[in-house]
Amino acid sequence: MSQQKILLIDDDPDLRLALRLPLEAAGYAISEASSVPEARIAVKDVKPDLIVLDVMMDTTTAGFQLALEIHSADPRSEFKEFRQIPIIMLTAIHSTTPLRFAPDEDYLPVQTFIEKPVEPEVLLAKVRECLGK
Amino acid sequence: MAVEAPVKDARTLVEAELVSSVAWLIRLRWLAGVGVLLGTWSTRALFGLGAATVPLYAIGAGILLYNLAFYLVEQRLTQTSAATDSFRRLSVWQAILDWLAMTLLIHFSGGIESPVIYFFFFHIIIVSIFFQPRTAFGFAILAAALLSAIALLEYYTILPHQPVVGFLEGPLYKNSLYLAAVLFFFTSTGLIGAYLASSIQKRLRQREEEVIRLSESLRRATVRLQTLNDGARVINSTLDLPQVLERLVKSTAEAMGVRACSIRLLDKEKQFLEPVAVYGLSQAYVNKGPVDAATNPLAHRVLGGEIVNIPDISNSSLLQYPEEARKEGIRSVLSAPLMGKTGPLGILRAYAVELARFTLGDETFLGAIAAQGSIAIENAMAYKAIEELDLAKSQFIRTVTHELRSPVSVVHSLLRTLTSGYAGEISGQQLDILSRAGRRVEYLQKLIDDLLDLAVGKADFWKTEMYEPVTIKGAVDKVVKRFEVVSREKGLTLDFQDELGTGAVRVLGTPDGLDRIFNNLVSNAVKYTPPGGRVTVKMSCVGEKVRVLVEDSGIGIPEEAMQHMFEEFYRAPNARSIEREGSGLGLTIARDLVMRFGGSIQVESSLGAGSRFTVTLPLAAPA
Repeated sequence: MSQQKILLIDDDPDLRLALRLPLEAAGYAISEASSVPEARIAVKDVKPDLIVLDVMMDTTTAGFQLALEIHSADPRSEFKEFRQIPIIMLTAIHSTTPLRFAPDEDYLPVQTFIEKPVEPEVLLAKVRECLGK
Repeated sequence: MAVEAPVKDARTLVEAELVSSVAWLIRLRWLAGVGVLLGTWSTRALFGLGAATVPLYAIGAGILLYNLAFYLVEQRLTQTSAATDSFRRLSVWQAILDWLAMTLLIHFSGGIESPVIYFFFFHIIIVSIFFQPRTAFGFAILAAALLSAIALLEYYTILPHQPVVGFLEGPLYKNSLYLAAVLFFFTSTGLIGAYLASSIQKRLRQREEEVIRLSESLRRATVRLQTLNDGARVINSTLDLPQVLERLVKSTAEAMGVRACSIRLLDKEKQFLEPVAVYGLSQAYVNKGPVDAATNPLAHRVLGGEIVNIPDISNSSLLQYPEEARKEGIRSVLSAPLMGKTGPLGILRAYAVELARFTLGDETFLGAIAAQGSIAIENAMAYKAIEELDLAKSQFIRTVTHELRSPVSVVHSLLRTLTSGYAGEISGQQLDILSRAGRRVEYLQKLIDDLLDLAVGKADFWKTEMYEPVTIKGAVDKVVKRFEVVSREKGLTLDFQDELGTGAVRVLGTPDGLDRIFNNLVSNAVKYTPPGGRVTVKMSCVGEKVRVLVEDSGIGIPEEAMQHMFEEFYRAPNARSIEREGSGLGLTIARDLVMRFGGSIQVESSLGAGSRFTVTLPLAAPA
């Protein structure tokens, strides 16, 4: 079986490193993108099996916007072939602030959320779960 | 604010009098009719005198008959709420028929010799009371004329004399001297009587009018006082500035009885006066154009502290937009300054459709309202400034925290990657060092989270509307369950006693807040109790409050530490032996939340024997 490809999208190179090591150790092929424009190109080039995406990059909603674009139901979307790619979103929202995003198929077609700081084990488990489907 | 119904003016009072007196006279007339019948009967039966009984009885009956007619008409007029004119006509007819009856009565009871002639004075007095003095004199002369007619007609035997036989020794009706004397005295009495009655009535009426005028003045003054009082109450009831000002202009216009009232406030640059609250003016007029505080002559004077009264806007050079004002229907304007502690805030203005409407009393009144309004405006503005500052602070805190959290979180991830072995083999000592670093980073993370909680808590102090009724049992239950495993592993007995009974017991707060309070307390209890000990959580209702006890048999708190327990970053000396690094914020946060939810927290302890924390929270009002 060919290696499964994961695309890491995050503007923090240190965090990308911290995430890449456990994922590579688990046998996944990792590609990285450090900005939304880079990510758009990378999705089409790499054709990943799973995307790990940071919620906040240049702006507080940059990550969400990109996720919406990729999972858009619009048949004319540039990402129409990639609609089905599972996306794991990394959030840094504290539990006592009023904002809480939950997976909502209608509004936000992402698969799952992980709160930062990311525990490698938690990440691996979630990745296995998403790719297992 | 209750606005009293205005008292009827003098004219309508007279009219009301007329209507009720018509009914009264009709009632009296029943007695008159019966009196005539009785009188006629007694002349014969009691006094044995001869009289023209048939005509007299007929007159009596006639009086009763036409009174019945009047009665029926009056009832109908009252039921159909007829106009006053109908009643007036009815009283005129009553007068006519009464006088007719009177004349006939006199004729048939002896003419000039009849003692009944004096009854004419009743009628004269009645007429004086209800009609104008001129009318009264007219009636007095009419009475004299009628009597004279009877007397002369009988004297010249044109009319047959109808004496009461046996009453007088001899006929007087042929005595010309007697006639002249009686007629003279009768006429003068009638005129003088009419004059006196009218004068008294006129003076009474003047008094009445004055009373009405005074009572109207008093009413208006009361309404103004009420407005001032209500205004003060309104001002203190809400800090929502637009609401305060809307109410103020409306009640001012109503209290003064004028068409419109407006408030303009200086904008931030203190250059223009913007309309902030308006009552009674069209939108077109309000937006007529910019009002420049410096160049608008009226604004300039008023903002200097002066109350300016313009009795005729077409005659004043002070107005910047006189044409628009005239088109709006305004003729006089009164302006009072709204003065703040550090300078003018704006202008309060009243608009009237009459010329020269505003008196000195009005100026004083508007000035008083403006003074109250200024206080309210400043308070509301201060409150708004605080809110804005608060918001800015919250924003700042959120940004700073994010900036702090982000790098710390990445360090944590990097370390975990390393210590989990994903970057290659590491030696035991390397692992040890990295683990220590990792723990310190975790501590930093917790500290940042706690600091954020504390800071946001203080910032959100005002926002009590975020709180909702939360079931206390659920919150505490969740926390206790969270510590079950840890307690068991440590060999502690974790005892949960729920004495709340059935039914949902709710307190005002947030689920996260309640969780944090009890999490911190139970976490401490578990942490600071050595193996084999006991941690008890007990919930009960005491009056209108819920009481939650978190008790442990742990290390206890030394005497000198007790008063500092809830201070920020404070850690009791003996706590360090159990846990080297603690933020010292756990109890501070817990107490902050408890107090925000309207409750209180107490600690009791003895060193070496354990501690007890008691949280008391008020019950939420039933939804």
